[in-house]
Amino acid sequence: MPPNVPILGATNVTVIRSGEVAVQNASFSIDKGDYVGVVGPNGGGKTTLLNAILNFLPIANGKIRLFGVDKEKFCSWEKIAYISQQATNFESQFPLTVRELVSLGCIRKGNIGRRFQREDWEAVDESIEFMGLTDVAERRIGQLSGGQKQRVFVAKALARKPELILLDEPIVGVDSEAQEKFYKKLSDLNSERQTTILLVTHDLASVFCRMSKVLCINKKVEVAKITQELDANTLLKRAYGDHFHFVFHKHTCQGAFANE
Amino acid sequence: MSNLIELFGYQFFQNALIGGVIAAVACGLVGLFLVLKKEAMIGDGLSHTAFGGIALGLLLGINPLLTALVVSIVAVFAISYMRRKKIAASDSAIAIMLAVGFSTGLIIISIAGGFNVELFSYLFGSILTIDFTDLMLVSMLGAAVVLFISFFRRELLSMVFDEEDSRIMGIPTKRLAIIFDLLVAVTIVLSIKVIGTILVVALLVIPGLCALKLNLSFRKTLLASVGFSILSTVLGIVFSAVFDIVTAGLIVFVLVLFFLLTLLYKKLS
Repeated sequence: MPPNVPILGATNVTVIRSGEVAVQNASFSIDKGDYVGVVGPNGGGKTTLLNAILNFLPIANGKIRLFGVDKEKFCSWEKIAYISQQATNFESQFPLTVRELVSLGCIRKGNIGRRFQREDWEAVDESIEFMGLTDVAERRIGQLSGGQKQRVFVAKALARKPELILLDEPIVGVDSEAQEKFYKKLSDLNSERQTTILLVTHDLASVFCRMSKVLCINKKVEVAKITQELDANTLLKRAYGDHFHFVFHKHTCQGAFANE
Repeated sequence: MSNLIELFGYQFFQNALIGGVIAAVACGLVGLFLVLKKEAMIGDGLSHTAFGGIALGLLLGINPLLTALVVSIVAVFAISYMRRKKIAASDSAIAIMLAVGFSTGLIIISIAGGFNVELFSYLFGSILTIDFTDLMLVSMLGAAVVLFISFFRRELLSMVFDEEDSRIMGIPTKRLAIIFDLLVAVTIVLSIKVIGTILVVALLVIPGLCALKLNLSFRKTLLASVGFSILSTVLGIVFSAVFDIVTAGLIVFVLVLFFLLTLLYKKLS
């Protein structure tokens, strides 16, 4: 892929879900190394947009380009990892250890039905270590805490060394300490490996504190770089409505929002 | 005891043990995935469909296991077609094929009259009548199952665990799901002589359930599933020979005993 080509680009994308327009005329681009928070009200089209990017939903209009290639012609899906909302809702009795689950991340088009190579197992161990899961590597996934489960799924995604990771509300129902740990790992991943991250979340304070871009969606999409000068309140009001008020202090990294 | 040792010297008993172990290995491997997929129903459906194939084979004078295999494979494709075209949901599609297969068998029996005794042996298993031809067929089918699972166990596991993510990773989930259903059909057919079409679902499902109760890693759970399956089949065959009781019933009885024991183990641990 030539430099300066966006990793993800959308031009006038419209997605229809259950007969209704869920995403309307969305145009935006995400560059390599971006750490993007995808925010918006419930039903605003966050998950629908991700599903359209991942080919789970057809687009009614417009064009999505992945790594400079039209999505319809794109075939390097191993460059993309996705962690769904339901990822951690597996049955607690499922017979998988952390290491076994992470190793499943190494399966790709080129090695289906083949033995894993030494590099694959090295990638597995490296991902487990990077996500701070070495101590629980042989434990069954059903025995982990909520925060550990989230990190296992990121480790699984990392095992195939993706360039773009899409996460759909990964920290729901996790305590604040585990959330903090999770965000720290994602930040490390973004800064150390230049992995592009798109994270759907309702945690606005974390978006404006930790991430480089924000993608606001309520049918219509707006993307902005997060800087000191960004008028976050006005941006969010366009997505959440005029009744919404967001107070954010970048220097202390504290945010709060309230209905006026 | 000396009678038992003597039994091991007979060809028919050796055939029974070899055939039983092959069927047990296939059932233990395929069954665990079936349990994890929560699709035990397809095992029941295909085994009843195979009954139609057996009756057809007896009518045409062809090896009934071959006709059962063909009819089960047709049923797998029919179920898959109904799912894909949204003609019927998964469980309904299975129920339709179960009914079609079984009723076809009944009609054939009614038309042909006779062969009731032979048919009985396929319904409830007839392990001591496994001949060399049966053993060859069972061995080939068993080898196909073992080879497929050993090459594609990770892909199958990934698909069972998270189908959406597996698709993104490049796993051909739709094709793999159909191949897996074909594998279920093959496993059922190769187990028919051992345990019969009516009870084969027990050998498919219970070993996996027992293994899951032990809280092991996937690798060890798969081995435990095969272990439970082999142990119950061998014990069933031996008890059957010693006490002169029908083998299929004893195999299921031992399986249920293992299930209760693992349940107790889980409660205690």
